[in-house]
Amino acid sequence: MKKVTLLAEVQDDLCRGCKTCEKVCPVLAISVIDRKAKVKADQCRACGNCESRCPFYAIKMVKRAEPFTIGVDVAKHDREAIRELCEKAHLNPEQVLCYCVGVRAEEVAAAILEGAKTPEEISLRTGIRTGCTIECVQPLLRLIDAAGIELKPIENGWQWYGITPTAWTLPEETVEKYSERGFYFREDKELLERIVHTPLEGEDR
Amino acid sequence: MDFEKLMHEPIKPIPPKQSIYGIDPSLVKTRISELPNIVSLYLRELFPDLPPVLLPGGPDAIDKIRSAAREALMKVDMSMIKPEHSVNVLASHHGFTLFGGEPYAELLKTIRDVVEERTGCTNIRLRAGVGMRFRETEEYIKRYGLDTHYKGKAIGVAPIDEGVAIETEIGTLYGLKKVYDADWIIHAHHTDVREVHFHRQVDKAVKPFGMSYARCETRSTYHQNLGPRAANFTARAIFESEFVQSKFAFAAFLNCGPHGVIGVDCDNDLYALNDRATFVGCQLYGKIMTLFGEIDECIAVLDFPCPVPYVFSAGVIYANFLGANSDLYDLDKPLPPYTWYTEAFCRKDGKPILEETPPMNPAIKMCVHNYAWTGYPSEFFSKNIPTVVVGEEQGKLFDTDSMNIRDMDHAVTARTSEEAMEFAYKVTGTDKVIIFDGAMGGLNCSKSLAKLLIEKAPIVSEKVEKELLPKWLKQRGVDLSILETYK
Repeated sequence: MKKVTLLAEVQDDLCRGCKTCEKVCPVLAISVIDRKAKVKADQCRACGNCESRCPFYAIKMVKRAEPFTIGVDVAKHDREAIRELCEKAHLNPEQVLCYCVGVRAEEVAAAILEGAKTPEEISLRTGIRTGCTIECVQPLLRLIDAAGIELKPIENGWQWYGITPTAWTLPEETVEKYSERGFYFREDKELLERIVHTPLEGEDR
Repeated sequence: MDFEKLMHEPIKPIPPKQSIYGIDPSLVKTRISELPNIVSLYLRELFPDLPPVLLPGGPDAIDKIRSAAREALMKVDMSMIKPEHSVNVLASHHGFTLFGGEPYAELLKTIRDVVEERTGCTNIRLRAGVGMRFRETEEYIKRYGLDTHYKGKAIGVAPIDEGVAIETEIGTLYGLKKVYDADWIIHAHHTDVREVHFHRQVDKAVKPFGMSYARCETRSTYHQNLGPRAANFTARAIFESEFVQSKFAFAAFLNCGPHGVIGVDCDNDLYALNDRATFVGCQLYGKIMTLFGEIDECIAVLDFPCPVPYVFSAGVIYANFLGANSDLYDLDKPLPPYTWYTEAFCRKDGKPILEETPPMNPAIKMCVHNYAWTGYPSEFFSKNIPTVVVGEEQGKLFDTDSMNIRDMDHAVTARTSEEAMEFAYKVTGTDKVIIFDGAMGGLNCSKSLAKLLIEKAPIVSEKVEKELLPKWLKQRGVDLSILETYK
């Protein structure tokens, strides 16, 4: 759940239509039309990426006249279906994925069960990846992939490129080769497994 | 023991700096070190075996760093760089937060000068990576005149900039295109330990390849996909890729200890440098971190131009003090009290998913946020540690930070530094105060805490040397004969 209090605002006189803002927006809320960036106000989730990467300092984050809250109600969904999807992605439903906004795996799973099919749609609904926009991209992609949805990066966009290795995909020869260098591959995989399978409060498993 | 002899006047803290991530410096009216009962301790008096430093020093300290850098750079092989080639000098934001920032900036300037002098190459660019504050190195580039020194070829790069796929032995990872868009790369870093809670001093010298030089997909791999210790392989996987190896020329490191800049270390073999950095990180920083673990109760003061977790005291960042109740170097302990894996594995009621997870340092009874920046998700700290923020302006700034929209929901505000401290003393009942204000060469703290640290330092020093250091190095696969070399 995220309280959206800010909005990206373009200063037309400074914008040169370079499209950097388009390429870094995690919810596709900004696009260049007639060589000027335009913000879809209802879609902006106030991460500030466009402001931070604009080479011409043409975007400012301003206070919204009417802040609003976004989020997906996990209680509306079958608890077992959420658990199943999270486990397939090697995540505990209760674990936090987005450190900035506080979105948990179960909320992302619920968004997928509601029909969201892309990282951008899920960010729009839950607020995940609208804080720093960096650190939670992989578990987000892992959940979409676990749902059997094909991942297609935005054409010409820099939002995300693809899914990366996990503790479950490391080649055994790598694990063996570096076992003396402090990486604790096997022990960490075991730790993550324990997290995945620990029941939620009150969950009967 | 003559405690008074070891207690000095407070060391002047690092001044507030102009930045989009912090309040206007003019709004910082009082530094906590100016208040009554604050003294300083010098690290070389607490731990007499710490090596001598170039900085802090006299007015020629920066010149000495330049000379040390030049001398070290003259010894590395640069024969692969031809006059017609292009070179990217890779830097990271953290370096600019060390000892006022000038030492690292001077290293970066010297690298450019010596590379041109020795190779005849002039197409030398600076690519300065960041973490979560995408404009941070742009600010440093201007502040230290690096744009001029690099003849207009200095830019900041961020993890959401255009990427390049890098094939590694564990699969595809992603780097930043502008980091690798030259014939050669020079890795310009430092031995400061900074985030021990994340890297655990495993391959620390390699880490930027998986962080400040990397795309968000790679950073997320580190923080979410592999586990708290295995994560450190991310950087090595990238560094060992054919793509990176084909471009890597050498590494140039500012050799730092918690007490200052010791020298400059350059090497064509990053792993050899990494072993030396591991030793510095474990021995020199390990002592002060272990000493901080002896603090039984305190008020922690943030008073430094950096985001909340990165403010410094005695070369140790606040994020590490949050975990000082645990041995962060001991790799047999999987989850530190604070790290993102620990934060992720919390239930909705705030309790850990795994019961054995250690709590954040219970010795911290209250945090007084006198001056620190936005740009890092800090709600977890204010949620778990009672926090007083000085001045409404700082709270308002946090309310506009996408990473901290709810941070102030858990903190209270005091009008002045004096009132904040008064409140903290009354509520906590302790008079022990530790100040994270970047005081160089030592730390500022209350007299009561100084007494405790003076008493414990020799015991900690012996414990680290005899018991902990050999264990830490063995866990990391570092050849223990390095201990003999350094004696």
